[in-house]
Amino acid sequence: MPDLEEQLAALAPAIDWPLTPTLKVALPTHGVVSGEAARRGRRPANNRWILAAAAALLIVATLLAYTPSREAIARWLNLHTTIQRVQNPPTPSPLPPGPLGDRLGLGTPTTLENAQSQLAWKIEVPPSLGRPDEVYVKEPPDGPSGGEVTLVYAQRPDFRVSGQTGVSVLVTEARGKVNEVFFQKMLGPGVTIEDVTVKGRPGYWISGSPHDFVFADANGDAHYERLRLATNTLIFDDNGTVIRIEGDMTKSQALELAGSLS
Amino acid sequence: MEGRPADDSELITRALRGDSAAYEEIVQRYQQIAFRTAYVITGSSADAEDAAQEGFVKAYRALDRFRPGADLRPWLLRIVANEARNRVRSSGRRRQLELRLTEGFRPGDAAPSPEAVALASDERQRLLALVNALSDEDRTVIASRYFLELSGEETAAALGIPEGTVKSRLSRALARLRARVEEAANA
Repeated sequence: MPDLEEQLAALAPAIDWPLTPTLKVALPTHGVVSGEAARRGRRPANNRWILAAAAALLIVATLLAYTPSREAIARWLNLHTTIQRVQNPPTPSPLPPGPLGDRLGLGTPTTLENAQSQLAWKIEVPPSLGRPDEVYVKEPPDGPSGGEVTLVYAQRPDFRVSGQTGVSVLVTEARGKVNEVFFQKMLGPGVTIEDVTVKGRPGYWISGSPHDFVFADANGDAHYERLRLATNTLIFDDNGTVIRIEGDMTKSQALELAGSLS
Repeated sequence: MEGRPADDSELITRALRGDSAAYEEIVQRYQQIAFRTAYVITGSSADAEDAAQEGFVKAYRALDRFRPGADLRPWLLRIVANEARNRVRSSGRRRQLELRLTEGFRPGDAAPSPEAVALASDERQRLLALVNALSDEDRTVIASRYFLELSGEETAAALGIPEGTVKSRLSRALARLRARVEEAANA
């Protein structure tokens, strides 16, 4: 009698798979001349530069409630982030079942050590929260060109747990090319934004009503992260790494965590 | 060159130069494994077809970022599987994957191995029923590794987990399946 693994392997040729359809992959008639050129020619909206420019125009056009200076807009782009003020932000979707990383689209689960070995830049960790409970990495083509890591902290003293996700704090760190827009925020009328300085670098504290995250993948396609904590967020530039700290926390708690990152 | 199928890197180079027929050849080459991988994830033929289709389009757009010299298959499977997971996530539901056995082997399929012949038909049915009764996570990793015959790297890409996790997840899934097989044998 063959052992279990041999028995399973023996089943492979006998599995009754559904008939594979002939896939109709609609390619542009002018093909991939070069990757960037093709994206420019084929899907203008998918080009990061054009996306960034369009996003900047969008900001100018839509940020009526919040009117940042030209410099502020530029800094948003340096933070790889655009914001969009909307009257009726989307309602967060109900939480589907499954692992947290899947539900929030955080990427591939891994360990802190493995994540560090995958990324070319140093992951900053807030020591006061201890080891993260879960770690996820997102690399191109799903994540930004320099990669993205998310540290998930479940229950922690002094931090309230988000009812949506059962998580206290999410720390997301990402790197990308200049003007690569990979975060976008959709803010409802009840959301406030404040300029803050973290480690001498610019940042923003976004608080108030739930808000929606949108991020662009490597193809420039927007992904709506409606299941994020949708609570307060500190976002800042840490020497080229964009760091987001999200959770149902106060501004001083967020700034303290950000200042402690090492 | 004539008569010899182009290798993947040659097809990629041609596709990047604007030869859409070259990319169509890539699609043809990998559509079956892509579709079946998406099927294991979504549990639905229609969703798997959509995911595979969209995955190939996304891969085409990202082709210039494919690392020269790397294996194309795991890269494609990762994009397709990611698309499949996105579909499951956005719909908030996943159909229960119910694998079945063919009565006979389809033309073009690999000939049954000596082990397959040794394993009587009713034993195969019983074993597959036990696999179907496992949790989603256990069933998916077993189906990917043994039924789709993906490599460790490809299984990791398809499941969106590190290769090391594939090993530990597979080992736990096998242990649970083994326990059920023994339980059934003693019943």
